[in-house]
Amino acid sequence: MDRGQLSKWFKHPGIMAQKYSLWAVYFCTGCGIIEVPPSITSRWDAERFGVMPAPSPRHANLFMITGYVATKTLKAIIRTYELMPEPKYTVAFGSCPINGGMYWDSYNTIKHIDKYIPIDGWIAGCMPRPEAIFIGVTKLWMMIDKGAATGYKRYRENYEYYRKNQEKLFGKLPWPPLFPIEDKNEKLTV
Amino acid sequence: MNTETLLKSILIVSFGGAFLTYILGKISRVLREIFAVLTGIFVVVFSLMLYGKTGTFIYAKNFLGFSLLVSINNLSWLFLITLSVISFLSVVFSLTYIRGHERTDFYYLMLLLVNAGMAGVVLSADLISFYIFWEIMSWSTFLLISYNRGAALSAGMKYIIMSVVGSAAMMIGIISIYTTYGTLIISEISSQRLSLPPGYILFLFILFSIAFGIKNAFWPFHIWLPPAHSEAPSPFSAVLSGILIKMGTYGFLLIMYVIFGMKVFLELGSSFFSFHNILCWLGAITVVIPTFTALLQYDAKRLLAWHSIGQIGYIIIGISFGTSLSVAGGIFHFINHATFKALLFLTVGAVEYRTGGVRDLNSLGGLIKKMPITFIGALIGALGIIGVPLTNGFVSKWIIYKALILEGNSFLAFAALIGTWGTLLSFYKFLHNIFLGQLSEKYKNIKKAPFCMQFPIIIYSLIIILFGILPGIVLKVINTILISFGFESLNVTIWGIASESGILNTINIFTAIVIVVIAVWIISRLGAKTRLVAQDDNYAAGSYIPKEKYNFTAAFYKPMTRIIGPVLKDIINNFYLILGRGTSAVGNGIRKVYTGDIGYYVIYIILFLAVLILIKVGFKL
Amino acid sequence: MINVTIVKVLEFIFYPFIAFVIGIILMGLFRKIMARIQRRYGPPLLQPLIDIIRFFSQRTVSHGKIFSFGVILALAGSLVVLLFIPFGKICPLCGSGDLLLILYLMLFTPISIALSGGEGANPNISIGVSRKLMLSLGYEVPFLMIILSVMSFYKTTSLVEIIKYQQNYHWAILNFPLVIPGIAYILILPAMMGVRPFDVASAPQEIASGPVVEYGGKFLGLNHIEHAIHMFIGIALFIDLFLGGGPNIGFFLVEMFIVFFIAVFINAMFPRYRVDQAIKYLWRWPSLLAFIGLVLVRIPVKF
Repeated sequence: MDRGQLSKWFKHPGIMAQKYSLWAVYFCTGCGIIEVPPSITSRWDAERFGVMPAPSPRHANLFMITGYVATKTLKAIIRTYELMPEPKYTVAFGSCPINGGMYWDSYNTIKHIDKYIPIDGWIAGCMPRPEAIFIGVTKLWMMIDKGAATGYKRYRENYEYYRKNQEKLFGKLPWPPLFPIEDKNEKLTV
Repeated sequence: MNTETLLKSILIVSFGGAFLTYILGKISRVLREIFAVLTGIFVVVFSLMLYGKTGTFIYAKNFLGFSLLVSINNLSWLFLITLSVISFLSVVFSLTYIRGHERTDFYYLMLLLVNAGMAGVVLSADLISFYIFWEIMSWSTFLLISYNRGAALSAGMKYIIMSVVGSAAMMIGIISIYTTYGTLIISEISSQRLSLPPGYILFLFILFSIAFGIKNAFWPFHIWLPPAHSEAPSPFSAVLSGILIKMGTYGFLLIMYVIFGMKVFLELGSSFFSFHNILCWLGAITVVIPTFTALLQYDAKRLLAWHSIGQIGYIIIGISFGTSLSVAGGIFHFINHATFKALLFLTVGAVEYRTGGVRDLNSLGGLIKKMPITFIGALIGALGIIGVPLTNGFVSKWIIYKALILEGNSFLAFAALIGTWGTLLSFYKFLHNIFLGQLSEKYKNIKKAPFCMQFPIIIYSLIIILFGILPGIVLKVINTILISFGFESLNVTIWGIASESGILNTINIFTAIVIVVIAVWIISRLGAKTRLVAQDDNYAAGSYIPKEKYNFTAAFYKPMTRIIGPVLKDIINNFYLILGRGTSAVGNGIRKVYTGDIGYYVIYIILFLAVLILIKVGFKL
Repeated sequence: MINVTIVKVLEFIFYPFIAFVIGIILMGLFRKIMARIQRRYGPPLLQPLIDIIRFFSQRTVSHGKIFSFGVILALAGSLVVLLFIPFGKICPLCGSGDLLLILYLMLFTPISIALSGGEGANPNISIGVSRKLMLSLGYEVPFLMIILSVMSFYKTTSLVEIIKYQQNYHWAILNFPLVIPGIAYILILPAMMGVRPFDVASAPQEIASGPVVEYGGKFLGLNHIEHAIHMFIGIALFIDLFLGGGPNIGFFLVEMFIVFFIAVFINAMFPRYRVDQAIKYLWRWPSLLAFIGLVLVRIPVKF
């Protein structure tokens, strides 16, 4: 942890601040959320790393997808993700978001969440223990340092791809697109 | 033009203009509107030309054996300029507001007659013309309150009954003064220093207090005000709340400081139960109870009407407390309250006009995007009535608080201070439920308020801010009034009042606020850029909720309502209802005497003759 | 003459910075002490500063002009109040206003947050603001009586003179009639600072933080700065009115930390009151004590 190195704070204050003040949206996505309260309470204290639960997505910059994602939950996840201000980071817990995990043949869960929401980091386990959560956060710090945690940029650049996948799943979405999608048909008439 | 011509022409122009507008209005609508505006402008211009002049002149000799006089002095001038400006701006507002209603010519006639009556009241120098103009003002008000028919009829009835009772008390008082002093000219009464028994003076004061108190609508006499102000058409509500109830204040100032003089007034009665102390405490109750009753209202105009009663309490505390600071604060608060209450009623009128008559706070919302200037006007009016620094309401309230605290009367100061917080809560509810929140689909297409409505709103907002930053403009005039009453003058400068313990320097405060806002704005530019989003892109716990269903307006202060609701039942209203029903029952009982059967009448005659004969015979024995 | 002006201008510029730094340390101490009471390590002391830097680097959304401007005005309001409150010997604008002005300038911040939150068009905000205003009405009733008793006792409305009297004689809280309002002030101090049991206005679990739910990056940063300054003002007012105002800055800071510890320990012990429970409590015991204090102060004075 390079929190005490003052020269880095003066050179890149934004990056250092984003690392050491990760507020996670307190959105209990799936069964993995059972491992989050132990990690923010007294035994495995996450607040000493700056990780705090945030009640509103507008305050947060970390989104933890903990466990399986049902189709109904995915709508709320997309909505919450779009409400967060940039730069934002997503971390997926467990094996269900990676490839379906235990519910690999269920009609109701999402097998590859990466098609709908960009994910920066994956933590293996079913469910990962608080120590694994801390290792994941540390790896996220290293990625932020290197500039490799670019999920939000991917979302912005490939928004059409994500939106198409979302609409294939849900039909017409009631909320308008987050970034303007240029109309392909206009280009053809040249 | 010399003073005499000016005074007489104000009366002639205002009365004549009213009737001319009515007659010309029968010909064409445009002529009526032009003449109404012209009448208003001329009264304003003449009032401005009267600044600084004094004088008393006869305008009618030998009216029932009395001569009627008009006079102008600083006190009358202050009231005159306020009422002429407010009436003129209300006339401008009603050009678009009342267009298309029925009986518009009657409306303009009554509005201008009220203006003329009020001008006559403040200009009159003897009690007969005071009474005549008071009555003209009262019944034209009654006719205009009932203009909308429907629920307005009972509101008007409540008003006129109480007003007639007040006028009757005033008549008794005037006759009593005539029998004691032998003259009805105000300057002659005040110059005769008779030493009268204090019981008689108390009797006169109580009579006049009933008359002026009913018009002024403070605590035991307030029940006519909420229905009347909420059912009247909005530009007239502005005149009603703004200036008409202050005619009661003018009357109070007349009897307290002009006719009887400061010494007599302040020494009436013994230490706690002295007359001015009881008036102060009634004023304190008036500040607290109606302000918190206003919290419970959900009709926008009723909320504003209850607040009118509350702010009158400040004025009453100010003028009854009896020190120079407090009287200055009271008179200044009268001017300030006229501006912001008129402004608030006009904004509600604009909202009503555009939404088709809706003034229910539970169903409006989000109008800030459609009517921005109306919102800014309502915001400045609300800030003024709360008393935020930089508005004129703050300066007058500050003066009143200082006067109360320096004399050591902390309980009155506490009652006055707690009124501010009640005002804050109710005006946040007012602003939020009308302008903030989500815009409903019903009101998606309403347009901005028309120019005739925006013009008075802008003028009032500018006046509020101007008198907040440079209160010395008004305080200098008030200083001369205080000297004429016999108080010591205040140390007034253009930016505030300087006294030994705690000064007020509004220019410094204004500069400090401007500098700090600019500094904070520069700091906020350091942050990353933000983008503008629609209102429905909002946190709703992960769902997407459409506009109509995501608004919180109903039962805005429910926990507070639950606590203070049972305490604030209007017991005075019940008292008056019982009084009315009792009188009606007594009358019904007496009516049973007249059975309609001639046999009974013959018996009554015979019995009465028998009683007479018995009395005659009895005396002989 | 020029020296005095230069000193005043320097005070005007640096006093907010000093207050901001002290406020940040107080906020950090708050989280650290709460953590240690809960037997864990806490965040580092300057964590609020890290949070604020992070907030300023996030690109967020705004709902309208009043939404953006309201936050700026809220912070400006707190800073303007700060300029009128004496801090040891520093007081830039004390000559232009007195305690009544401070009371009324403190209205700027709730009104601005309420207005900007109103344009946020979220019922959580509206509910949060209505609860905050009701709670403010709750603690204002005893607070006004307390201030009136102090002002009546010293027969002045100027804060500088109250401090001068206290430093010449002894602290107000050790004075017989004024000890009762002093105790009442300690009882309402958690309400004025917005800590438990009276933090219903920004209840994270119930109404998703109430008025700040739609604030994102830089608005949340400005709001945090305002919170820091508000903590400073709340404690500074108590020290100026009752604890003598501190002859110099060091003494003032010591008193500030002691009062702050009281507030933190109360916050650690209690759960949250509902609004009506809070109002009933505030209008019962602190108001009774303040009322008794007001009556006792006025007894030597003729009614």
